[in-house]
Amino acid sequence: MSAASGNQRERERVRGRVRAYVVAVAGVGLASLLGWLADGYVTAVDQAMLYLPIILLAALGGRAPSLVAAALSVAAYDFFFVPPRLTFAVSDQRSLITFAVMFVVGAATGALVVRLRTAEAASRERERRTAALLAFTRDAAGASDAAEIVRAAREHIERTLGVTAIVTIPDERPLQRAVSVEIAGPALSAEPLAFIDAVARQAGVAIGRIQLAETAREAALRAKAEELRATLLSSVSHDLRTPLAAITGMATALRDRRPADREALDTIVEEAQRLGRILTNLLSITKVESGAAPRREWVPLEELVGSARVRLAAELADHPIEVDVPPSALANVDPILAEQLLLNLLENAAKHTPAGTPIAIRVERAADRAILEVADRGQGVPAGAADRVFEKFYRGTTAAPGVGLGLAVCRAIATAHHGTIEAKPRDGGGARFIATFPDETALPTLDDDALAAEAR
Amino acid sequence: MTAGSETILVVEDEVPMRRFLCAALAGHGFKVIEASTAATAERAATEVRPAAILLDLGLPDGDGLDLLRRLREWSQVPVIVLSARDREDDKVLALDAGADDYLTKPFGAGELLARIRVALRHARGHVANEPLLAVGPIQLDLARHEITVEGREVHLTPIEFKLLALLARNAGKVITHRQLLHDVWGPQSTHQTHYLRVHMAALRRKIETDPTRPRWLTTEAGAGYRLLDE
Repeated sequence: MSAASGNQRERERVRGRVRAYVVAVAGVGLASLLGWLADGYVTAVDQAMLYLPIILLAALGGRAPSLVAAALSVAAYDFFFVPPRLTFAVSDQRSLITFAVMFVVGAATGALVVRLRTAEAASRERERRTAALLAFTRDAAGASDAAEIVRAAREHIERTLGVTAIVTIPDERPLQRAVSVEIAGPALSAEPLAFIDAVARQAGVAIGRIQLAETAREAALRAKAEELRATLLSSVSHDLRTPLAAITGMATALRDRRPADREALDTIVEEAQRLGRILTNLLSITKVESGAAPRREWVPLEELVGSARVRLAAELADHPIEVDVPPSALANVDPILAEQLLLNLLENAAKHTPAGTPIAIRVERAADRAILEVADRGQGVPAGAADRVFEKFYRGTTAAPGVGLGLAVCRAIATAHHGTIEAKPRDGGGARFIATFPDETALPTLDDDALAAEAR
Repeated sequence: MTAGSETILVVEDEVPMRRFLCAALAGHGFKVIEASTAATAERAATEVRPAAILLDLGLPDGDGLDLLRRLREWSQVPVIVLSARDREDDKVLALDAGADDYLTKPFGAGELLARIRVALRHARGHVANEPLLAVGPIQLDLARHEITVEGREVHLTPIEFKLLALLARNAGKVITHRQLLHDVWGPQSTHQTHYLRVHMAALRRKIETDPTRPRWLTTEAGAGYRLLDE
């Protein structure tokens, strides 16, 4: 369709030119006839004037018809009205001035008209492209995906310029850059190229807008899912924790009043607390795996070890603890999560090793990370299960109670810190659990003088 | 401890939990007033003037935190907030808003009574302005800047001394990172928690027999520090 409209324009141009030549020839004939009929009533100059409208009319057809009309007019005037008549001979030299004026008028008018029409055509073409660009911008604004924008860009370029275009989105396209347009056929001049460039840029902006909208929509969806999860967790947490807290509390209150039942009440308290820890692990794993970034701080590992040992004092009472913690070792971790990891490793060791066997806590500070290790003298990790022990609900072969979440929480916490955790056999028997925490920020230097100055 | 006849206001919406709190407190001679909503709690606080308040942060008719803030506009009554384990932030907000201490559910009667005793003792003002403090094996002479642990003299840096003095004046109570940073380094330093942690670790090494199993200077995960006094 676009190619057909180009041909049509070409045909119209040819037809206009032919019409101008017809006007030139017929007009000169008509002017000559009128001049002949009026002969005797008008002067020779008046007869010459009759040709001027013909030259002007022919000029509308362009430069060549105007020149042809001027030449014909000069020839006809000379032949019919300049003595000796009916010859091309000229007896009076002054007639040559008339010829020259007629010819110059013809040529100059033709040139002016041509320039005018060219300017007019160019401005009409520009208007058309501007309108097309506006129409495209409107289409692109209403588009709901990138493919629709690409299609609209191609259609508008083809319809406006009468060419065949291939429009693509470059693979490595930074947001808001233009799409790429290839044109089949002859090279285009500057103005159509500028039009294509404008369409390509508009398309790029529109696609960028759509991509932003998509990103925003995805983020909103994620936020909604996150909100749902948080709501669910907080209600589960509340519904299970409150009865547990009441059970624990009541049992401890009763323990003071009924020393005879102390053992039974102790069991109630301990089991309720164990249930509480399972619930904590369940909540932790959901929370950590939801992708919330750990709140990292620089924490002395000694503090984490101390805090975990105090909280697990009862469970660790039957195991000698060997501690190798450099006093100045810092880790770039979320203190609550890292303590939870250590608690779970210690609880795991206490649960799976016989009473009286030692548990070792070792901490090491490498150049770009902190390493935390808990080692025991139990049966060791079952062969081939070094990875499986960190899976959710893995329960191993021992008869120890648990739901198999403690180590899964450890792995979730290490992963959330972009760190690792692994289980290894220990030389001389037992298992080693080694977690690494890479630094996210530079190790802070403590300027004690500055601190002292601040404190003063 | 002597069983006081002080009145404790218990603000808790869960009936079983409230029953436990009342049983534990009444069993040790406290008078107990119960409230299940923030509104009744606020009324009770004005009318009864309790000696201490146990405040659950998750109340149905309004945030326990809001109640605490309103209460602090006119009253210095000791407030111990009860919070759930997964609401660490609420706990810290409550402490910074003027709560005296917190208990994380689940907790036992022993912990509950220990916290109340500490809060009541501080409210009676027996500790705050003494120049000589004794906390466990630690003796502080605030005027002379001298510390002994189990009779042995310990040398502290000025920062460590300030930290220990603040904790000792509030012995038994949790002191948040923010409070410690504010009091020792000044109001512009309240985010420099790693300074605090490193100095606390150094302090712990000077006063604890085994700093990897602290007996007196304990860490309250996500909240702050506590110098135990029993």
